[in-house]
Amino acid sequence: MKRLLIALFALAFGFPAQAQDKLVVSIWGGSWRDLVAETAAKKFTKETGVPVEFITGGTIDRLNKAKLSKGNPESDITFTTSHVGWLYANDGLFEKLDLAKIPNAKNLADEARISPFHLGGWAYVYTIGYRADLIKDIKFESWADLWRPELKGKLAAPDFDPSHIIAVAAILSGGDIAHWEKGQAKLKALKPNFKAFYTNDANSQQLLATGETPVQIVLSMNAYYMIGQGVPITVAIPKEGAVLGVDTVAIMTGTKKAELAYKFIDALYDPEIQAQIAKLKKGSPAVLNAKLDPEIAKLPGVFTSAAQWKKQINIDPKLRAEKTAEWRKWFAENIMN
Amino acid sequence: MCARDHVGATVKTQPFLRSFVTPAALCALAFLIAMAAVLQYSLRAYIPGSLDPGGLTLANFTALLKPLYAQVFLNTVWICFLTASYTLIVGYPLAYALVHVRNRFAKSAILITVVTPLFLGEVVRTYSWIIVLGNNGFINSILLQLGIIETPFQFMFTRFGVVVALVHVTMPVMVIMLAAALSHIDRDYLEAAESLGAGRIRAFATVTLPLSMPGIIAGVTTSFAWTFSAFATPQLIGGGQVNMISNLVYQLGFASFNFPFAASLCVAGLALTLAVLSLLRLATRPLEKMGPH
Repeated sequence: MKRLLIALFALAFGFPAQAQDKLVVSIWGGSWRDLVAETAAKKFTKETGVPVEFITGGTIDRLNKAKLSKGNPESDITFTTSHVGWLYANDGLFEKLDLAKIPNAKNLADEARISPFHLGGWAYVYTIGYRADLIKDIKFESWADLWRPELKGKLAAPDFDPSHIIAVAAILSGGDIAHWEKGQAKLKALKPNFKAFYTNDANSQQLLATGETPVQIVLSMNAYYMIGQGVPITVAIPKEGAVLGVDTVAIMTGTKKAELAYKFIDALYDPEIQAQIAKLKKGSPAVLNAKLDPEIAKLPGVFTSAAQWKKQINIDPKLRAEKTAEWRKWFAENIMN
Repeated sequence: MCARDHVGATVKTQPFLRSFVTPAALCALAFLIAMAAVLQYSLRAYIPGSLDPGGLTLANFTALLKPLYAQVFLNTVWICFLTASYTLIVGYPLAYALVHVRNRFAKSAILITVVTPLFLGEVVRTYSWIIVLGNNGFINSILLQLGIIETPFQFMFTRFGVVVALVHVTMPVMVIMLAAALSHIDRDYLEAAESLGAGRIRAFATVTLPLSMPGIIAGVTTSFAWTFSAFATPQLIGGGQVNMISNLVYQLGFASFNFPFAASLCVAGLALTLAVLSLLRLATRPLEKMGPH
């Protein structure tokens, strides 16, 4: 009777399940959460019987929360961008991974092996997306096309991360991202073409959909989402390559469910799950043995071979973690304001 | 009686006061601790690639001496000034009508129109303005269809667009404050002015307007202070081209993981807010005397 009363009480007040009854995953909200819930989490729960609970938030909110709960993490697994993952790792928030416990990780592309602490879950590119119905005479075969004078006041780029265009300007100026200063003059020459800087995916979509900024440095997965919604966007891959981005997965230091966390990551790298991720969100698989639908495989920003991965502009995530503040400050002082 | 005895006596006569004041005092303490944390962060060095700040430094504040930051700080004050002024100009007639209209239906309609924005989040309100102000938005579409313009007006990513959206954000507070002040004006004063030969406009200018001055000052000050911390509206409507202090904090601090610099911007922004509000208080002190005594 006493047990029944306790059970009823717990049911009535919705007490959370015991910690060992679930695996907690920290990830961005919206479609990112849904993507993992419908793929890796579903497979993991099917295999282990353990449900997955998600805690969601922005990149910086989750980073700050993780820092504040160091040693006693709110989540067992964290998804974040590769360079932000380095900030977690440098602060001791990620556990060093034992790859022997993730058999499927042997198929990972080299570029997805970010650090001993975090590995790529899927990839994408930042590239040129444009409204061919509004920009008729330019095919964007090179990043240099962005500098064309007829694009004055037509371009948008993310306001949260200028690293893509900084890397491109450095390359076009004969340098590389490690010597980004070489591209400063080139970047300043692009200033008249910027009309706006978008603050998130929704803002990017709205600017392209309304034609407010018919050309964007855009996240490939976001562009494909808009195309799916009927916005006539063309995704171009310049001859210099697009700028590679990798979203990563890691196990939090101090988790009491490390074994389950390893099983979750192994489920994420299952070739079928990786193919599902590519199908659902048009993200590139992080492994090289995923069998993709040919229609998906041919999309720019989806890689099926090691050679395709290597063709992209790859900004070292560790360098990016260290340099973001410097790049961001220079960009704000010289281009945005 | 010394101040301590006075407080003790007040608590004795009003025993519930202690339980009412305690939560507020705890909130104030938590706020002070948070402010102290921000202040100490602003005096610490940024270490690239690390979440932990380094040793003590003034570098974050000396970096603020660049013209860019002065420009954004001045831009913030100017946008606040414009927003408060336009909100007053648009809000005063609305508040006046709210108080003086006798028809219940009309009164309710004005009240709902004015108050509804309070129930929408700032982001939702701002997205609505994007739909209205965009190149293919409501205003430009109408003007183009009527043949009044040939190419769309550029409202988005301009200071004008940001101020229009901010006026909408601050309007409810302004109207509520003005309506409270206007409703407290004794109608006998107006009738006396009119019986002495003053026309409606003169009665308004010499009686209603001066007596509503406390409401005007409270509304303008609140709009000004509220606009200072605006983020989503300048972020989305300004599109990175019109920046206020909070946008700079986001761009250069949070998006770059340079939390010490973000903290120094916050401290400087807070100091500027206090300075400007103090100036505003000094400037409006003579006007306060025009209000009811």
